Amino acid sequence: MTIENKKGWISWFNPFKYGTDRWMYSLHRLTGIALGLYLIAHVWETSNILNGPITWNKIMVDLDYPFGQHFGPLILSLILIAAAYHALNGIRLTIVENGLMLPRPYRPEYPYKAKSTRGLNDVLKIVLGILMIITAAIGIIYIYTGVIV
Amino acid sequence: MKESQIMLIQYLTGVLILVLGALHFLAISALAPTKDKVLYHYGTTGVHNLTNGTLYYYNVKKIYTSLAWGSVFELLLTFLVFHIFNGFRIILSEQFPGGRSEKIITYAMLIAALVVFVWGTRTIVLMLYGGGV
Repeated sequence: MTIENKKGWISWFNPFKYGTDRWMYSLHRLTGIALGLYLIAHVWETSNILNGPITWNKIMVDLDYPFGQHFGPLILSLILIAAAYHALNGIRLTIVENGLMLPRPYRPEYPYKAKSTRGLNDVLKIVLGILMIITAAIGIIYIYTGVIV
Repeated sequence: MKESQIMLIQYLTGVLILVLGALHFLAISALAPTKDKVLYHYGTTGVHNLTNGTLYYYNVKKIYTSLAWGSVFELLLTFLVFHIFNGFRIILSEQFPGGRSEKIITYAMLIAALVVFVWGTRTIVLMLYGGGV
């Protein structure tokens, strides 16, 4: 059976009439795609180590200046923020979608709000949000200063 | 393989990537085999001076020639390739639903995943056996 997907990926950019879960879904997809493309670029970039020090060092320096100075730390910081978000939201999804740590399901009652997942899901969002900020901050401090917090 | 089983592997590889990804970060920072742990060393000139940072060729080579780090990178690559290309497959299958298009997408992702896996493995293995200069 073929199910028609009328809105397609355009709907990822229109999560306005939905709740925070929808925003998080859109961001999870977008960060996933960005990280996937980064992996392919990273595999190409690191394969240049086989060509010796001159090529490697040239590529490392050149990658820092494609659109102006200090592009390397900027792109690494953005990748780090995307990775922190994708990883921590992924943990939340693994917990919630597998029904871990959730109360027993019950009969739906008006106004049909999913109370059984509400509490834990909201707590997880806050805890993982704080962890994401801490992780990204530690990484960015390291990238820009070399200081390991 | 059932879609539910593939999804379980997706969750599992996600958790493993988190652990191995953290180790990868440590390999080029706190545990880097260099005195200076800085990735980008700009100094007073503002020009990226590689020689003092962990991205300098001989510093990166030291990490690659270690069997322990090589194993970590290979495992990370394996889990990442599965997680990413299965993610791409899910997204594309949702955008282009239908038996025929899903089959084409699955095979295309499988081939792309194999290419990236072989490409990355080649670097890790050749460096372990004295690749580079």
